[in-house]
Amino acid sequence: MNLKKTLSAAVAAAGLVVAATSAQAAITVDVYGDYGNYFEDFKKDITRKAGSYKHNANDWGGHHNKLTLNLATGSGAADMVLVDTGMIGGYINGGGLMDLSDKFAPFEKDMVDFAVKQGQNEKGQQIGVPVDLGPGVAFFRRDYMEDIGYDVDEVMETWESWLAYGRELRDDYGVYLVSNADGIARSIIYGTVKEGNGIYTGPNNEILIENDRFKFAFNMAKQLREEGLDANTGMWNDDWYGGFREGTFAMEIQGAWMLGHLQGWIAPDTEGSWGASNLPNGIYGTWGGTFAAIPTQSKDVESAWNVIEYMISPKAQLAAFDEWAMFPANKTVHDDEMFNEGIDFLRGQDARVLFAEIANNVNPVQPGAYDNIAETLVVNTALQEVLADGRDVNEALKDAAQQLQKRMR
Amino acid sequence: MSRSPGIGTQGSDVSQLEMPAPNRLKEIISQGTPYWFLSPWVIIYGIFGIFPLFFMVFLSFQDWNPSEGLGAMQYIGSTNYVKAFTDPLLYKSMWNTLTIALLSGVPQHLFAIPMAYILVQLGERARQWFTSAYFLPYITSTVAVSMIFFQMYQGNGIFNNVIVMFHDWSVTAPLFTWFDPDYPIQWVRANSVIQYSIALVVFWKYLGFNIVIYSAGMATISNDLYEAAKIDGANTYQRFTQIALPLLKPFIFFGVTMTIIGNMNLFDESYVLTNALKTATKDGMTISNYLFRIAWEDQQMGMAAAISWILFGVIAIFTAIYFYLFGREGLQEN
Amino acid sequence: MNIFDNALFQKSIYAFLKYGVLAFLILFAMTTIFPFVYSIVLSTHDQEGISSLGVSMGLGIDLVENYNELLQRTAFWTGITNSAIIAILGTVISIFFCSMCGYSLAVYKFKGRNVIFGIMLLSMMIPPVLSLIPYFLIVDMLGLMNTHFAVWVPFTIAPMGIFLVRQYVVASIPKDLLEAAKLDGAGEFRIYSTIVMPLLKPSLATLAIIQFVFLWNNFLQPLVILEGDKAVIITMIRSMQGTPDAPMGAIILGSFLSMLPLILVFVVSSKQMISGLTSGAVK
Repeated sequence: MNLKKTLSAAVAAAGLVVAATSAQAAITVDVYGDYGNYFEDFKKDITRKAGSYKHNANDWGGHHNKLTLNLATGSGAADMVLVDTGMIGGYINGGGLMDLSDKFAPFEKDMVDFAVKQGQNEKGQQIGVPVDLGPGVAFFRRDYMEDIGYDVDEVMETWESWLAYGRELRDDYGVYLVSNADGIARSIIYGTVKEGNGIYTGPNNEILIENDRFKFAFNMAKQLREEGLDANTGMWNDDWYGGFREGTFAMEIQGAWMLGHLQGWIAPDTEGSWGASNLPNGIYGTWGGTFAAIPTQSKDVESAWNVIEYMISPKAQLAAFDEWAMFPANKTVHDDEMFNEGIDFLRGQDARVLFAEIANNVNPVQPGAYDNIAETLVVNTALQEVLADGRDVNEALKDAAQQLQKRMR
Repeated sequence: MSRSPGIGTQGSDVSQLEMPAPNRLKEIISQGTPYWFLSPWVIIYGIFGIFPLFFMVFLSFQDWNPSEGLGAMQYIGSTNYVKAFTDPLLYKSMWNTLTIALLSGVPQHLFAIPMAYILVQLGERARQWFTSAYFLPYITSTVAVSMIFFQMYQGNGIFNNVIVMFHDWSVTAPLFTWFDPDYPIQWVRANSVIQYSIALVVFWKYLGFNIVIYSAGMATISNDLYEAAKIDGANTYQRFTQIALPLLKPFIFFGVTMTIIGNMNLFDESYVLTNALKTATKDGMTISNYLFRIAWEDQQMGMAAAISWILFGVIAIFTAIYFYLFGREGLQEN
Repeated sequence: MNIFDNALFQKSIYAFLKYGVLAFLILFAMTTIFPFVYSIVLSTHDQEGISSLGVSMGLGIDLVENYNELLQRTAFWTGITNSAIIAILGTVISIFFCSMCGYSLAVYKFKGRNVIFGIMLLSMMIPPVLSLIPYFLIVDMLGLMNTHFAVWVPFTIAPMGIFLVRQYVVASIPKDLLEAAKLDGAGEFRIYSTIVMPLLKPSLATLAIIQFVFLWNNFLQPLVILEGDKAVIITMIRSMQGTPDAPMGAIILGSFLSMLPLILVFVVSSKQMISGLTSGAVK
């Protein structure tokens, strides 16, 4: 009995000690990708302004799987977590992440609109706070543009003018218009969403896959492939890198962050041959982006919010942009002088102004609970069937829509 | 062999007369001996293995988005199974898995057994060097391996360059007229070849593993047997087929069972070579890839659980057929 | 005269086969060593160098820089230590557990033997994808979060290892030997530990390699259980991946360095593997 008593007293005492230390212990922060460096390099500054923290960095997949598991089991989640745009749809309506509407209210007007809306759930509660964006930009080779007498605005004006330009490049210079047709289909699918809709589904989960937007995107990609206007390389492989270096293709549509990779390591020798532009036909879209959120499990919401507040503060936003090309979600910094600097890689163009303009013109896209399933079925399966196996567009889309319907609850 | 384990013979009968009590205890313990030996498995599996089993059975009848927490499960009867069984991607990815498994698995054993035999014949030092080399892919991180293969499979990668070489060399040119260097083979981007590309990596990666298994098996065969056969005039090939092969049966049985089960769970190689399931997924996506995607990316855990059990059933049926056909010899009961 | 009966012809065919086989063995060894050597080459290049290297084998100048980057972005040696603790403990314990269970299944006849063996085999066939959530719940319930124990213990009874030992016992331990030992009055556990275990060396060496490699490369369980200074090397290296500007040089250097312990373990245990042959097998 005595032993038992002593033991339980000891356990209780230990528990008290643990409780006491955890009250002032550092909060935890779960991040992925470049944010691992962010929380490492800015540690001093963040600790000074928002309190101490421990960060845990994982790769993209591992990070989101762990988050899902932590939310599923109600245990083990960090006090603050980051969520990628592509995954946010699965989390915002789940209830595992906290409603930050009240805390975020004073900052809402400063942030880029579409991203703010993207972080809201069905009830309009702010679950995710946007921290960076990926405005979609067309990077083009100036040596295949103005240097040979074309005007980029005229080329980009409509799909017809864009295609016509591509055909002339193909015939006169043996250069492909783009690296891959499926990137163009994605641009159209992501960039022409009607306000209030999701990418694949409407507000009431009605399936939009068979509408004209998808048909147009698929047909455009098919046309590019059939006319020999795309180089048919993948992404992030040697063929693709080589294409940038050697000018195999004249244009690449990617997030603005692509600039950093092009000038940093993919094709630094091509400095001055590049330019940046809007997407063809006046469409606006985004490629990636990050949200910060607080799990309801969090034991120290205030400190966690302090970190988020730090992340969206103008100074931190600019520093992250400067350091890792994380495009600011805070629009008040978009007129910072840093944006007016010419970029040598783009032949002195002050392209960041353009990036900001694109970011502020993007239509809000409602994240849907079925985005991932639809993406698998439409972009990764149906589009590949059309491009690689020559399948009929309408048939492929109809099939995808039917399968998506089945997978919905 | 009808005697039950551990029951003493005459010697212990004598001792029983003298000291009955401790011996009965001994007997009880020895009656239980096999269970004592199995207790680690029973305890650890009891703690870590049983609950997941029930959890997954339960889950397969629920609708559950994991990010909503455990409380969000909703009973939906057999809907998950219906969904799974009417999903064309399930059949497609299962078929892909089976094809890749056969393409990589059959050659694995056809090569590994004779290679292990030859290596043992080559003597200790050569065997050690070669097995070490062959085992490298198994321990090399998937990152490095996949990255290297991913690059070798590109349009201007080494595979296409070698074919171009044969295509341009006058001796072999007639055999390679089908190849047009302007249209390099899209090893990891075309659905028509992706299964071969994946199978090659799997074959290359696990061949060494099987050689190691079979080398350990060869170690059970005494040199005397070979020597005796040599004296009887059997050549290397005959010694292989008549001595090594029959005695290796338990190991072949083990190796093939592992290949069946391992291949059905094939994940990494196909995931990386299809560029994280973005290209050539139609023929390159395995059932494990599909399962993982449904569970963790699409967050439909209930349906994933149902698919797990369907997959379990398929593997179990294959294994059962295999055990039925070869189990008597492979397990060597009695 | 039939050419096939010609001794010279037979001899040359034999020589051809012999050297052909040898050539094949060497060629294949080259393909398996290549990625290993290539990762040495890659780890001396920076991002730009790697992306433009192709298959050339030129060494770069960024080895030190990659190493510094590796140390800066990960707690590399902590990760290696943690992985080593998990892999060593898990492997050693599983050698005991698996050999005990496998031995039991191979030599004894008892009620429930086939059922237990069946459950083991079936448990291998359940896709591991979903068991992560219940596993996490158990570890949480037992209060084992962020402990190495939780990461290796469940794998010490790997059914594959038990199966391997069982097959090896069946193939190589003669029943007469066990009977004789029993006649000499040796206890059951003594027979297992002093007579059987040494004879099982080759299979236990094989098992050790398999377990060590598995525990070292295992990703999902450590990912969700361990963090901070308990994390293992593989999650650390993975954490650098996945972004377009991932420091490939540092990643490849890291995975190369973290492979070396595995090679060491392989070389050591591979010596044991064939010891049955040289020390004169029993059967």
